[in-house]
Amino acid sequence: MLIGIAIGFAVGILPGLGGPTTLALMLPFVFKMTPVEAFAFLLGMAAVTNTTGDITSILFGIPGEPTTASTIVDGHPMAKRGEAGRALGAAITSSLFGALFGAVALALAIPVVRPLVLTFGSPEFFMLALLGITFVAALSGEAVLKGLVAGCLGLWFATIGLAPVSAIQRYTFGQLFLWDGIGLVPVTIGFFAIPEVIDLAVQGSSIAKVEVGRLGGVWQGVRDTFTHWLLVLRCSAIGTFIAIIPGMGAATTQWLAYAHAVQSSPNRERFGRGAVEGVLGPGAANNSTLGGSLVTTIAFGVPASVTMAILMGAFLIQGLVPGPSMLTPAPKGHLAVTFAMVWTIVVSNVITVAICFAFLRQLVKVTEIRGALLIPFILMLIAVGAFAEKNVFEDVMIVLVFGALGWVMTRFGWPRPPLLLGLVLGPLAENKLFLSTDNYGLAWTVRPGVLALLAVILVGLLWPVVSRRRQRTRDGADAAATPRAGPGERWRLDGASAFSSLIVVVFGWALWQSRDFGVRGGLFPWAVCVPGALLGLAQLARDVTGRRESPAPDALADATDAVPADVAARRTLEIALWIVGFWIAIWLIGFSLATLAMTLLYLKVGARERWGITLVLTALSVAFVYGLFDKGLGVPFPSGQLFVWFAPAGGS
Amino acid sequence: MKRALALALLALLAWVAATDAQSRFFDGKTVRIVVGFSAGGGYDTYSRVIARHLGRHVPGTPTVIVENMLGAGSLIAANHLSKVAKPDGLTVGNFAGGLVLAQVLGQPGVEFDARKFEWLGVPSREACVCALTKASGVTSLAAWMAAAKPVKLGGVGPGTSTDDAPRVLAATINLPIQLVRGYKGTAEIRLAAESGELAGGCWQWESVKSTWRQALESGDVSVVLQITTKPLPDLPNVPLASSLAKTEEARQLINAGVIVPTEIGRLYALPPGTPADRVQTLRAAFVATMRDPEFLADAKRSKIDIDAMGGEELARVVQDLFKLDPALVAKLKGILK
Repeated sequence: MLIGIAIGFAVGILPGLGGPTTLALMLPFVFKMTPVEAFAFLLGMAAVTNTTGDITSILFGIPGEPTTASTIVDGHPMAKRGEAGRALGAAITSSLFGALFGAVALALAIPVVRPLVLTFGSPEFFMLALLGITFVAALSGEAVLKGLVAGCLGLWFATIGLAPVSAIQRYTFGQLFLWDGIGLVPVTIGFFAIPEVIDLAVQGSSIAKVEVGRLGGVWQGVRDTFTHWLLVLRCSAIGTFIAIIPGMGAATTQWLAYAHAVQSSPNRERFGRGAVEGVLGPGAANNSTLGGSLVTTIAFGVPASVTMAILMGAFLIQGLVPGPSMLTPAPKGHLAVTFAMVWTIVVSNVITVAICFAFLRQLVKVTEIRGALLIPFILMLIAVGAFAEKNVFEDVMIVLVFGALGWVMTRFGWPRPPLLLGLVLGPLAENKLFLSTDNYGLAWTVRPGVLALLAVILVGLLWPVVSRRRQRTRDGADAAATPRAGPGERWRLDGASAFSSLIVVVFGWALWQSRDFGVRGGLFPWAVCVPGALLGLAQLARDVTGRRESPAPDALADATDAVPADVAARRTLEIALWIVGFWIAIWLIGFSLATLAMTLLYLKVGARERWGITLVLTALSVAFVYGLFDKGLGVPFPSGQLFVWFAPAGGS
Repeated sequence: MKRALALALLALLAWVAATDAQSRFFDGKTVRIVVGFSAGGGYDTYSRVIARHLGRHVPGTPTVIVENMLGAGSLIAANHLSKVAKPDGLTVGNFAGGLVLAQVLGQPGVEFDARKFEWLGVPSREACVCALTKASGVTSLAAWMAAAKPVKLGGVGPGTSTDDAPRVLAATINLPIQLVRGYKGTAEIRLAAESGELAGGCWQWESVKSTWRQALESGDVSVVLQITTKPLPDLPNVPLASSLAKTEEARQLINAGVIVPTEIGRLYALPPGTPADRVQTLRAAFVATMRDPEFLADAKRSKIDIDAMGGEELARVVQDLFKLDPALVAKLKGILK
């Protein structure tokens, strides 16, 4: 277990390398362990990654795990303000609470979980997915229209691949790797990490823009957790109970918790600019999720996530069949094992938090390191992490595409979280909708559970509207409703308009493509693309006429104000070229050599570092890729295309 | 004269060196098993257990490692084996047997010719069964035939037995079936069956046996039908689907559409054009591994069944699928489209 924690710790911190990826990489070693060791190892590792992943998200603005992306939105701005310590303190403490809550919930749920989950059928799951999608509005910050379009975009991305029911190919361009859809891991990494790298290069400074005070107020963060204990508790509950639904993992629950934190706050406009509640909510939820997913895995043998699927494999090898017997006491069942799991979660989290606090001082200092030294390292991790999840090179390309998209979106003040939420919930919603109608006809719409959830959705949608109107009448002044007069009523045809029109074009094209998908394959794309295109048009009209919303509270919205525009443009171009160059190098000469060349060249030529530090860092990163991943873990990196083209004939 | 002798000597030397190199080809080499499914799943588990023992049975005892290449139900791995992998005997592919049928039926995405692969074998002949819950009221084949409403079975997607078996059964032996597609896996089908949404589903007995063990023991779930050529040792009294087939054509459809693809489900292959002697070496090693007591003990620990089919037999089974009557293929295409 301790080894598992140690590895989980490292993995969580390293961006790009997710829990499932590592579990997959570690499997060869797991096979050599006794089942009990294996299981403590896996669970210990899984329990920890979400806590340490939060650290990376806060410090670098790069998701340490796909499941910790939401901590970036508020945690990273805090780090930039020199409040990294406070954010970390809050994230770690709330993570601990979340994990403990999840573990306790797991223990308490044991007697009731089977009847509870069995009353849920596909229709209820569909309504829950729908409920999740309505959270898009709350995630959009001030740019509601853009948020809705981004949400539609995310839902549309989710339709790429084979349609779940009719198995027709949708938007795959004949590419086999797109059959399974776009992976969440490469999207999340690209979406957040690439823009952050660009920002780091443009700023040409360390991450913290303000001098970090003594430890940046870790205790302040711990205190915050207790001040907002109710929020932490609610978000933990969100994490645990949503995760009981198969298909909903921490990648979803974190955003729901974040949205909840925003919704329940009296002053929303602070969010995205470093509100500590925005760190507390997801911090708690992504950890409490583990308890919830274990419930479904243990009680039904339905793995709620990849991590759980691997854990389940370990169960079966040990001769434990997930199901009712896991919940019955000995001698007939294995309740003791289930409780052992509860303890593993508790103990590994407590240990992690202790370690985190011990190292916080060093961790916070990272934000003061010169950006240039970090960039090659981060880029290498991004590429390796994207590849190692599925061992598919195309995923590395997806990172690049979504990196570009993410960067453009931050530039023009588009909120990114709704897109991710749509991507996560889209498949679930589509699948469950068809399963509901196939199983029950239209009768599913009047199931009591469905009606109850519908009521919840309606209240959730209408409540903010009602309360805002009430507030507005109370305030008297109707300031928000009058659009700020833009600089004249001139038409604006700049980048923002171009991006909006691109989105409209994409939706239009997607609609056109979907004409021969048939009802079963096409319903969902139509339902997404039509509103997407219309809302996109509305946004375009706003952009063109200059009636713009204030920039969304995204982490990078205020990125470039310190650097003069021309310098910023030059540096952006440079770093973009470096990134693209690195990717081409990976393609041409393989991961190891490309890392060697890239790190060396970037540090020496790009950043003009001294030889000593350049060589040391280059050696380090090559040792990392070649030694650890290629040789140590046996990641099957493809050999570079150059070697394929010029391979000696007949050689083997 | 001297020159001729020297030349002959040289030729002899070259020949000796060549044969020697051949027999020692695998010395210090690494053989990769490319699995088309994710780490931790069934395919992966088989491959990793095999990888731990296969090397010992190859002259030169190469290291054998497992790589996972995910996507499109292992179609990516199968295409990779055909188009990209070097035919040098150092790459072994492990993908779904249903893909061979996919090629026969001309389904999209297939970029390999199954007739050209060099087949290594199958570690376990799988068999498909239909398991239904007691709550559905269908606990026997007679009850199923007499069911007033179509019995709801869960499906994962085309090319899997959960989808294909119900379709073939409905088309050949007129069982009342409503196939509900779109579940993410057999685990989700089990959950939906337990919540009463579905009656059950049809998939590999080996998986049903281990993941639904408790429900089978308590009688909450029963196996109503087996789609096999002869009854499985575990299920001597469960009726065979083919015994209900009224025509020879129906029997052939069940055989080609369900029984054969399931039986060769976990197949292992070498890239087209792998040198014949290396194919022979590896085929022999595969068979030897399957009989190795250490391997069998390891397989037992990993809870996987072994009932192997060698490379020659697998090659014949695959070739037979391509010899099907075109009319039958057209019919099957209609059923499985």
